[in-house]
Amino acid sequence: MTQPVLKIRNLSKRFPVGGGRVVHAVNCVDLSIMPGETLGMVGESGSGKSTLGRVILRLLEPSEGSIEFDGQDITQLPKGQIRRLRRDMQMVFQDPWSALNPRMRIRDLIAEPIKLHVDLSRSERDDRTEDLARRVNLGSTYLNRYPANLSGGQLQRACIARAIATDPKLIVLDEPTSSLDLSVRAGILELLAEIREETKAAMLFISHDLGTVRMISDRIAVLYLGEVVEQGQTEALFETPAHPYTQALLSAHLPADPAFKVSRLVLEGEVPSPIALPTGCKFHTRCPVAIARCAREVPQAIQVPSGQQASCLRIPNGGNIIQRKEDV
Amino acid sequence: MTLLKVEDLHTHFISRDLDNQICIAKALNGVSFSLEAGRVLGIVGETGAGKSLTAQSIVGLLRPPAKIVAGSVRFEGRELTDMPDAELNRIRGNNIAMVVQNPRTSLDPLTRVGDQLVRLHQIHSGGPKTASHKRALEMMEAVGLPDPESRAKSWPHELSGGMAQRVLLAMALMNSPKLLIADEPTTGLDVTVQAQILDLLRSLVARFDMATLIITHDLGVVAHFCNDIAVMFGGSIVETGSVRDVFAAPAHPYTRNLIAATPERFQMGRAKALGGQPPDLYNLPSGCVLQSRCAYATELCQTTVRNAEVAEGHFALCHYAGRLEEQPAVKINA
Repeated sequence: MTQPVLKIRNLSKRFPVGGGRVVHAVNCVDLSIMPGETLGMVGESGSGKSTLGRVILRLLEPSEGSIEFDGQDITQLPKGQIRRLRRDMQMVFQDPWSALNPRMRIRDLIAEPIKLHVDLSRSERDDRTEDLARRVNLGSTYLNRYPANLSGGQLQRACIARAIATDPKLIVLDEPTSSLDLSVRAGILELLAEIREETKAAMLFISHDLGTVRMISDRIAVLYLGEVVEQGQTEALFETPAHPYTQALLSAHLPADPAFKVSRLVLEGEVPSPIALPTGCKFHTRCPVAIARCAREVPQAIQVPSGQQASCLRIPNGGNIIQRKEDV
Repeated sequence: MTLLKVEDLHTHFISRDLDNQICIAKALNGVSFSLEAGRVLGIVGETGAGKSLTAQSIVGLLRPPAKIVAGSVRFEGRELTDMPDAELNRIRGNNIAMVVQNPRTSLDPLTRVGDQLVRLHQIHSGGPKTASHKRALEMMEAVGLPDPESRAKSWPHELSGGMAQRVLLAMALMNSPKLLIADEPTTGLDVTVQAQILDLLRSLVARFDMATLIITHDLGVVAHFCNDIAVMFGGSIVETGSVRDVFAAPAHPYTRNLIAATPERFQMGRAKALGGQPPDLYNLPSGCVLQSRCAYATELCQTTVRNAEVAEGHFALCHYAGRLEEQPAVKINA
């Protein structure tokens, strides 16, 4: 059996915010990603998506739990060794404008990870840089320019070139397309899909755009208040969402097609503060099918018939399905 | 009578470069549309297409170097483009309300939200302050803010993004506007909050019979919340019509590409034809603005394009509108 490239167990991240209060950003998350697999992570802002992505790469220190990367426990690894590991785990950030040093040329930006991690002569490195630029469809004329002279889509291509420069085993993409225009976004997504085919790199694709996630992911994990409430194969999760939060989240998505009938479940209220988490099931304060037990008991993840894992107390008796109002 | 009629609007950015030469960015090039009471029009387009600039031109919020150089904006038959500021101020925030993209920066951070609503009502409607206060609470309730009494006393920084957007909506509704302009009202909000705000907006449009202009880059929002759509590119409206018609049979190549780029319709392998550089506003090509990015472009496209009616009420700014199928698509390098 193949080993997962990434396996995290019981991972939590808490930030102290003064006055003895603590933000519970990520709470007891279990996830694994197989080689070559793309895991989509969706959730609203404040659900801990980005924090989780950063903790996985040890850009933030986990408060609790373990991270196993490529069979090696990296939770306690000292900083110096983590640096060497970064060759195999790369990240693409949401905002390409601030992810690139404005005083470096695109050529040097793409060459930087190669310089740090791969032992190549200068001419080999130059060749590799140009190969990478060509791979991400960035014309060689752009290589001598500075980031300020490129458009957002071109900058994001440069960021992707940087991320694949060292042939990583895992790439964490934190909202790589959400700051881009629709037509540009399509090109970036296609590039990512091609790169995945070629390099067989595993990807963690963090996004709040459900349409995009559905397109690119093999599996999806839904986060709510720092917890994975449901995870499973993309199609199963989209077709028969089991957790009430997943149902509501998916129904709020608006496909760009007026012929598509949306039957929407509009949630009441807003996401509770991660400083004072609700007791029991974190979703019970907004859940339309919550019962008294939900406020007391923390639900465990259970397998549903369509194959995915969901954490809801009402699944065993079928009470987890929210009745829909037809769209008017 | 048409509530809002925009005709052949041209807005340019006129500045001087380092050699003191005048340079002109033609940001809006002949934008025309009209809007009736109770209708929702969605304007879509990519960054720099001129969506927000259209809204700002309508309400006269342009700052130099932006300037309306030609065209007219008529609201209830009155010309807005050459109206003195004092007179315009009686219409803005009163008959025409605007909700902008960034709710938090649009609220005065040093005034409690309730007082901001009261202030707006006092300026336009006058009357006793207690009446304005009552109205403020009613509007806050109408936009679904829980416990308006205590919310009115909160400061803008205490509100979440969704709540701040609701406060802005309440503020826009204070003087029962006839026209509501919402510039990216849900961008930056989560999908579940977006659903709440859009539902609210739709019920308010029906309840107060407002004409609404929604500016967005999200085709999903247009598909489900608007009656009509106007697609902008390079400072022109390239296609307009009812949402149903345009989505079912897009006539302009740009609209086709835009719809093809949505996750629902997107097919891998097509992206190269979709993207591309936005047109250089300082140096617009003669004829069609899309020609450098269009797979169907021919020599004819370098001549002036006129709006062609492909179906009733459905217009496209393309020489080949309605007969694109007969035209061989040429592979272009994006």
